[in-house]
Formats: sequence, structure tokens, C-alpha cells
Amino acid sequence: MFDALDAGLLNIIITTMKVTLPSSAISAVLGTALGLLLEGSQFYGKRIIVRINRTLMGSPPVVVGLVCYLLFMRKGVFGFMDILFSVKAMVVAQVMIITPIISGMVYSSAERNAPNIRSFAHTMGASAGQTRLLLIKELKNEVYFAAISGFGRAISEVGAVMIVGGNIRGKTRTMTTAITLLRNQGNYSEAIYLGCVLMAIALCVQLVADNLKGKEAVGDDNY
Amino acid sequence: MIITDLEKNFSQFRLLIDRMVTKPGTIYGLIGPNGSGKTTALKVIAGLIKADRGKIDYEGLVKQDITMAPRKPYFIHDSVYKNLTYPLALRKIPPGDGLVESFLSLAGLSGREGQYAPSLSAGEQQKLSIARAMIFGPKLVLVDEAFSNLDMESSLAFEEAIKVSQKKNPATWIVISHQLANIHRLCSHVFFMDEGNLVEFGEAGQILFDPKTPKLKRYLQHLSL
Ligand SMILES: Nc1ncnc2c1ncn2[C@@H]1O[C@H](COP(=O)(O)OP(=O)(O)OP(=O)(O)O)[C@@H](O)[C@H]1O
Ligand SMILES: [Mg+2]
Repeated sequence: MFDALDAGLLNIIITTMKVTLPSSAISAVLGTALGLLLEGSQFYGKRIIVRINRTLMGSPPVVVGLVCYLLFMRKGVFGFMDILFSVKAMVVAQVMIITPIISGMVYSSAERNAPNIRSFAHTMGASAGQTRLLLIKELKNEVYFAAISGFGRAISEVGAVMIVGGNIRGKTRTMTTAITLLRNQGNYSEAIYLGCVLMAIALCVQLVADNLKGKEAVGDDNY
Repeated sequence: MIITDLEKNFSQFRLLIDRMVTKPGTIYGLIGPNGSGKTTALKVIAGLIKADRGKIDYEGLVKQDITMAPRKPYFIHDSVYKNLTYPLALRKIPPGDGLVESFLSLAGLSGREGQYAPSLSAGEQQKLSIARAMIFGPKLVLVDEAFSNLDMESSLAFEEAIKVSQKKNPATWIVISHQLANIHRLCSHVFFMDEGNLVEFGEAGQILFDPKTPKLKRYLQHLSL
């Protein structure tokens, strides 16, 4: 099975990383900023924004893919950018899928913990800037956890990258879209091989996430 | 500090303090039944919740001079050392070894500065929290249920340390406790609250042993010091 790792497969793995690493990094920054900003501000209509965020957290990738496709196709609003069927378009689509997931997770953990942290900072005499810094430090693990969940989602997602990327060999073919194609072709051994690589990555993600959660658990009990 | 006509309303509760005056360098006790508004009063004084009405004159004190050790202290997700020295770090005060060591030992945590603070026992947390509130020399120290988790020896050690620190750095202390023996030893004056109001104020001995109002008499009826 290992000689299955030919140039084509390696290319697929690299393409997958070229899509998922930037998309999860961008989403992590955007999502964290949005989540913290949303928690820290009070404005009319905030509850609606939170509700919309919740809804977007579960938006089906194929629908987001379709929206991106319509935006980036030649006659679309962003057609002039000419990025349809490229890694760039795939990154954009994934950012749209993952950012709400990260911002939603960051928002809910901030909503739970930030009031306590703010009160504490206040009683210690912290300035506004020092309080913000403390908030970020104290929510660090939650932010990592959200970012890793986002990456896990990105790497296993198939609907959006298929529609927007087009599954072009050597260019936009990722592990998930390749598995779909390989199955259609009846090439099960390569499909299984890629599936294993994907599973191994998912396992690593899971391990890191669990590790972060474990650190959080101690001392948080009220009993 | 001078409080006048302070009012804070919750759905089922009203805090109403007509007048409350504290003098620098004095340790006050704040006692009263459960739900009488003690914690709420301290939170308003600490600036953690806004009053609906009224005025607090801090007589020149600013936020950086005021601290509160709450009933359930918060610890940053880091070591005992980082937690203890956090208020120093905020003020860019270098944490001198002697200073840190003396407060570590007061909290009974000598040699354990590396331990993850949230993993401390309830009493250790309470002690670290009070030590952390004292270490930077605040001018107004608010302590909620200071002694509820402390063993007798620790309580005495803290009472002693607070009295000693009053000589070096006189501050106003307001200490909530249901342990009236501690209040008796530590505080020179005591406020008694009931149903959101300050009902009686006086010297500790007078409040505890010669109550004037029926409410305080009732509150103290089972007292045996
Ligand atoms: N955020 C809040 N919303 C509604 N009611 C509140 C709120 N905070 C406090 N209360 C009510 O105010 C009353 C006074 O509460 P507080 O915590 O000040 O009492 P306490 O004197 O500290 O009591 P204890 O000795 O039990 O600690 C209680 O009846 C409580 O239910
Ligand atoms: Mg209370």
C-alpha cells in the first residue's frame, strides 16, 4: 500500500494543506476577533447577530460552496477576480464555513468566563488594556480548541471544495474530493490509503484538542 | 470613604444604605444574616456593580487602590507565583524575593509557588486570594467570607498579618464573616446589615455584646463566644 504514495497522491495531500492551513488560520484570526468583539460589546440587535452566528455554525458546506460558486463564476459579482476552480476560491469558501464555527465557540466560552475575568481584573486594578490582555490569555485554550476544531472541519469537508475547486487533477484535488473520485472509479486501495491519511490527521487533531480540554478541567469544579 | 443614599435594586431585593462612613487605618466587620446584602454592598463599593442611586466618596482613592477578595476567588490559569504577583506585574512593581516569600509563607504555600493555582484546596485558594489582595499595599481592602474555609491556625495567622500590615501600610478593611469570633478579634468596628439596610454600627464589643436593636439581638441570640 505504501508504494501508492506516488507523485499524484503527494500532490493531493499538499493541495489539501494549501487549502486547509490558510483557511483555518484566517478563520481562527477572524473568528476569534469576532467572537471576542461580540462578547465585549453591547448594541441593539446583538442577540440577532448571535442567533445568525449559531445558524451559520451548522451551514452545510455544499450550500456555502454553491454561494461561492455563484459569486466567483464569470458572471458573478466577483467574477472579475477570476479565481473560480483555484485554491484561492477554495480557501475563501472554507473561511466562510469555518469562521462562524470559531467565532461561535469563542463567543460562548467568552460569554461564560469573561464576566468573572473582568471582575477579577477590576479588583486587581487592571486598566482596560490589561484587562483585554488577561481575557485573551485566560481564554487561550478555548481559542486553540476552537481553531483546531475549525481545522478538523476544514480538512474533512468535501462539499464546498468540490463545487468551488472543481476537483481538477494536480490543481484543486484534495484528499476528500480525491476519495470521492477514486470510489467512483472503483480504485479502492488508493481511496483507503487517502482515507487512512485523513483519519491519522483527524486523530492528531483530536489528540491535541483533548489535551487542551484536559488542561482546562482541573480546578473548574465547584465541588 | 463616605456612602450616602446608596440604592441598588434587584427583582426581589433592595439594598438601601443611607449613610456609611469608614476611616483610614480601621478594620471594619460587616455582619448580617444570609441574603441581607453584605456581598452586594461590597460589590458596589468595589465598583463591580453600579448603584441605581446614591454617592460613594472614596476620598481620593482610585480603582488601583481598591481591591476585593471574593467568596470564590478567581485564579489565572497559571502558577501560584504568577497569581500572587499578578497585581505587582500590573503595576510594574518588581516582585522582591522577600516580599513574595513573606506572602507565600503567610498563605502557607512556601515552596509551592510552581503549583497550578486552580488546583489548590479551598482554604489554600482563600489564603492565596487574601495574600494577593494584600501584596501590593491597597488602601481599601474588601474581603468576602474571609475565614469560611480557613482552619483556626490560618485564621489567627491572617488576623495577625493584617494587624501587622496595618502598622506599615494603614488601609481601610471591610471584612464580611459569619465567624463572629474572628470579627471580634480582628475588627475594631462592626456594621450590622439586615434586609438590605445598615441597621446598627458601633465598636465591635458593643455590637457583639451589647446590641441595641431587636434585629441585631435576634441575630446574636445563639452567639457564644
Ligand atoms: N444579580 C442578582 N440578581 C437578583 N438578585 C440578586 C442578585 N445578586 C444578589 N441578589 C439578591 O440580593 C440579596 C442579597 O444578596 P447578597 O449576596 O448581598 O447577600 P449576603 O448578605 O452576602 O448573603 P450571604 O451571607 O448568604 O452571603 C439576596 O436575596 C440575593 O438573592
Ligand atoms: Mg455573601
